[in-house]
Amino acid sequence: MPVTLQLTYEMSKALGVPRLELEGPETVADVVRTVESRFGDVGADFAKLTRVTAIAVNGVLMNYQRGMKTRLGEGDVVAFVKAAAGG
Amino acid sequence: MIKGYAGRVLEIDLANRSFAFKPLDEEIARLYIGGKGYGTRLLYDRTPAGIDPLGPDNPLIFATGPLNGSVAPQSNRFAVVCKSPLTGGIGNATCGGSFALGMKKAGIDILIVERRADAPVRIEIDGDRDEVLFHDAAELWGKGTYATQECLGKKQHHAVIGPAGENQVLYAGIVSNERIAGRTGVGAVMGSKRLKAVSVRGSRKLDMEDPEKFKEYTKEVRNLFKDHPVLGESMKRFGTGAIVNTVNARNILPTRNFQRGSFSEAMDISGEYMEDHELRGVKSSCIHCPVTCGRDVDVEGVGRVKGPEYETLALMGSNLEIGNLKKISEWNYLADDLGMDTISLGASLSFAMELHDRGVLDAGISFGDPEGVSELIRDIGHRRGIGDDLANGTRRMSAKYGGEEFAMHVKGLELSAYDPRGSFAQGVEYATTNRGGCHVQGASMYMESVGPLTINPQNLKLKADIPVVQQNLACAINSMVLCIFTTYGIIPKAVHEMNPNSIRYRALVLAFENMGPLLRTAMGMKGPPMLWFEKWLSYITGQKFSGGHIQEIGARIFNLERMYNLREGFTAADDTLPGRILHEPTFKHMQSGHPLGQLLPKYYKNRGWDAQGVPTKRTLERLQVRI
Repeated sequence: MPVTLQLTYEMSKALGVPRLELEGPETVADVVRTVESRFGDVGADFAKLTRVTAIAVNGVLMNYQRGMKTRLGEGDVVAFVKAAAGG
Repeated sequence: MIKGYAGRVLEIDLANRSFAFKPLDEEIARLYIGGKGYGTRLLYDRTPAGIDPLGPDNPLIFATGPLNGSVAPQSNRFAVVCKSPLTGGIGNATCGGSFALGMKKAGIDILIVERRADAPVRIEIDGDRDEVLFHDAAELWGKGTYATQECLGKKQHHAVIGPAGENQVLYAGIVSNERIAGRTGVGAVMGSKRLKAVSVRGSRKLDMEDPEKFKEYTKEVRNLFKDHPVLGESMKRFGTGAIVNTVNARNILPTRNFQRGSFSEAMDISGEYMEDHELRGVKSSCIHCPVTCGRDVDVEGVGRVKGPEYETLALMGSNLEIGNLKKISEWNYLADDLGMDTISLGASLSFAMELHDRGVLDAGISFGDPEGVSELIRDIGHRRGIGDDLANGTRRMSAKYGGEEFAMHVKGLELSAYDPRGSFAQGVEYATTNRGGCHVQGASMYMESVGPLTINPQNLKLKADIPVVQQNLACAINSMVLCIFTTYGIIPKAVHEMNPNSIRYRALVLAFENMGPLLRTAMGMKGPPMLWFEKWLSYITGQKFSGGHIQEIGARIFNLERMYNLREGFTAADDTLPGRILHEPTFKHMQSGHPLGQLLPKYYKNRGWDAQGVPTKRTLERLQVRI
C-alpha cells in the first residue's frame, strides 16, 4: 500500500489535487522531496508551505517522533497541519 | 452598587403571572461575577436536591455579567442556568445574539423565571417602565425560532424556543437571533414552563468606573484582534469550520460515531471549502463582535441563513460519514429552526446509525447516506415515532436499546467534536466538566492538539493540569459573560508565526510541556491586570482582576457546580468517558484508548478534592464556597 499524503486546503489548491498517494517514501523528508520534484514550480511553493505547517504521521506530529527522519511504512498517512481554532 | 451591574434581579412567577424587581446581591457578584457563576449560586441556594428538571420547581435563570452592555468585543452573551433535564445535574449554556444587550438596556442583570404557566405564554419586559406583560402565545406555539422572532419584530431583543423546546426534547436550546444556548436542554426547561419567548427592551446605559480608560483600551484590543491570526484572520475568513482539516490531520475528527478519527471527505466540509463554494456573506455575528465567525449559506427552499459551525460540520458531517455541505447546512437550519443542540442531535443520529448497522434498531438512517435524515430531525423536534427516542439523547437510548459502550456521552451530555484519544487533556476535561462532555468549558484541546503551541497530546505531562486551568478560566469567562473564543487570542501573533518544525519552536513546546505544577502556580499569581478581559473588568467595576483572581473565581464556580452535582447524587464514577474512548484505539501505536484512570487521581489532587472526587473542607473554605 502506498503512503497517503493529506494536504491542507491551500496545498490542495496549489497542487490541484485533494490528496496524493506516493509509492516508496521511507521518511517524511522523502515525501517532501518527492512532491517538490514531481510538481516543479508548484512543488517549490509546496515546499515553502511545509515550512510553516506542522507535519503529522498517522495523526502524531513528527516533532514527537524523529522529525523529518520519521520512518514511514505501507499505508501510513502523512498530513500537513495548520494551527487553527474552532468550537 | 458595583459599577458594571444594573443592580436588579427580575423574578417572574409564571403560575400567577406576577413579577418583582429585587436588588442584585453584591456579595454574590463579588464572589461569582455574574452569568454562569451568579446563576449557579442562585440555583444551588433556591432549590432542594432532587427536583424534577422539567417540573415547576426548576427555575430558569437568565444571567448577564458586568461586561454585557458594553462595546467590548465578544461581550454580547448571556448565560442560562437550571437543572439539566438531559443530565440530571447542573445545566447551563451561553448564547450570543443580542438578548444580553437587551437585558442590560432594560436594567436587568439576572432574570429568574419560576414555576409554570397554565397555557403557552410569552413575556415582554420594558425596563424603562419597569413593566412586565404576559401575553397569550397560542398563535406562536408550534412555530420555528425564525418565524417566532419574525413575528415578535425587531424593536425588542428576544430569547425564544422552537418546537423542540415545546416538546421537551432533552437537548432543546434557547435561541437569540441566529445563536443558540444549545447545551444541556435549557430549551426543554423553558418549554416545560410553557414559555415561548422573552422579549426585552430599554434604554439604560452601562455605568462604568473608568469609561475613558475602557474606551481607549477597547480600541487597542480591537486592533489586537484585527491583527491576530485566529481572531482577525482564520475565524474571520473561514469561520469555526477552519479547524476541520486540522482536526482531521491530527486524527481526532469524530467519524462514524467515533469509530475513527479521520474522514476522507473532510476537506469538502471545511471552512475553506465553504468560503470557496457555499458562502453567501456574513450577517449572523453577535453585536459588537469584530471576529464575525458566523457564515451565511443558502439552503434550498429557505434562502440565506446561518451556516453550520465546526461542531455541526463534524457531528452531523464526518460523524455520520456525510461529506455533503449542502445537506449539513440544511440539517443545521432545521436544528436551529426547531431549536436543538446540533452536538447532541448529531451524536444521537450517529448512535442510531450504529444501532442500525448492528441490526438492533431500524431508525431508517445509515452511515454515509443522507436519505431520511431531514425527516428524522423533524420527527425528533416533534417527538414523533422513533424520533421520540432520539429526542432523549444517547444515554437514555442506550438504556433502552443497549450499546452503552458506544453511546458517546459523559454524564448524559454528548461529546463534542474532538476525539480525546488524540487529545488526552481534553479527555480529562470531558470526564470532569460538571455539565458533561463538552469542549467550551475549558477547550484544553487548544493547548495540545489544534492551537499554535501544542504539547504532545498523548503523554501524561500536564494532562491533569491544563484542564484545571482551562476549566477555571472558562467558568470566569462564562460569568463575565464573554465568548470563549476570546481565549484564542491569548497566544500572541509571534507564536503563530513561528515555524512549527524549527528547533526554537520545539524547545518552547518542550519547556511548556515540562512546566508541571508551575503552570497552575504561574496562572494563579495575583498582580496587575494583564489580559484584556482582566482590564475590562477592572475599568468597568473598579475592582482588581488579574489572572490569579480569574483562576480563583473560576475555581470557586467550578467547585460550586461540583457540589451541586454531588448533592444530586453524582459520584466519581460519573467522571468517566464512553467505553469506546477508553478501550478502542484509533491510533496505530495505541494498544488501548484514553488513559483516564492514570490521570484522574492527579486531577482530583490538583483540584483539592479527596480520592472520591469530593472537594475537601479546606478547599471549599479557601475558595469561600458556602454550602
